Amino acid sequence: MFALSQIEHDLPMPPHLLSRPLPDAIKAELERLFLDKVIANLGLCVSVYDIRSIEGGSIHPGQGCSTYKVSFRLLMFKPFNGEVLVGRIIGYDDKGLQVSLDFFSDISIPGHLMQFGTVRGPDGRWMLKTEDGDELYLDLDDEIRFLVSSTKYPRIPIDQKEDDPPFAPMQIVGSIKGDGLGLLAWWAADEEEGEEAAEQEQ
Amino acid sequence: MKIQKANAGILTNFEVLDFLQTRGAKVDPMGCLGAVAASECKVYEYLLKTPACNQTRESIYEFVKRSEGFKLAEADKLNVINWRPSSAADAYAMIEECGKRFSKDDQGEACDEDERVQEFLDMVKEVLPPPPPKAEAEAEAVQE
Repeated sequence: MFALSQIEHDLPMPPHLLSRPLPDAIKAELERLFLDKVIANLGLCVSVYDIRSIEGGSIHPGQGCSTYKVSFRLLMFKPFNGEVLVGRIIGYDDKGLQVSLDFFSDISIPGHLMQFGTVRGPDGRWMLKTEDGDELYLDLDDEIRFLVSSTKYPRIPIDQKEDDPPFAPMQIVGSIKGDGLGLLAWWAADEEEGEEAAEQEQ
Repeated sequence: MKIQKANAGILTNFEVLDFLQTRGAKVDPMGCLGAVAASECKVYEYLLKTPACNQTRESIYEFVKRSEGFKLAEADKLNVINWRPSSAADAYAMIEECGKRFSKDDQGEACDEDERVQEFLDMVKEVLPPPPPKAEAEAEAVQE
């Protein structure tokens, strides 16, 4: 779910940070630049993990600040394909479900990556029709376990129409097709039944 | 900006939680102010709800040592550590080609798949600490 990325950056140090010790000032500046931002193909930056080296400090002609060459590691949210995540359903439409991890919400589960037999109910909610004829609804705020199928980093659109959804720089496509995937309640229930059966045997 | 290494190592949820804790992340939203950013605080709160919340470095080392016999890929181990499967269905979701992998024992001889999965689940149960009871369950227990 989380990975480290090593990055080198030429960092101009604004003069108002000169009063602070250099490593602190650099860390503050890096956090301002990268924290909570998506870097294409690297993921969402959660935190500055450590600073490996600070070099330079030269002042370029015409600039009122010193520039340092900083090598540092960022803690990125970057799930790999095939990783299992647990999130909460925050919405649905005709394309599929939207899932949130509280700190990251651009996750979609399209209809074709759901269990076989999942259709939209009369009220628009998605539901799984089981062989026994049960209708299992995928409701808002339910906890859902899914597999990361792919991660997309779309380019910034040149023109945004009014009715377009807000631009998301990182989109995760999830899949709930497979054993053990889907709502946590579906699989937890099985376990309880098993326990009950075990108790009865005793 | 120059990317030196896009992937300089993958962390388990426990390591991230530990890292954020040492930086001063707290559950209290006001306590977070100043020490860590709001985004870090949200990640911290999310991780507290996962099985990583009461793992220790020792329990993870122990798991890695004892899982050698099961011939899992690194990604599978990561999934198992992060989510602590408790039933066979969980294990099938988290481990790629679970059936194929669990149809052989330590020596590479054929064995019963279900028994082998159960053996693995028992090991996970023993080594990784169980998740603490949820707040709702606790409230119910108090009422009773």
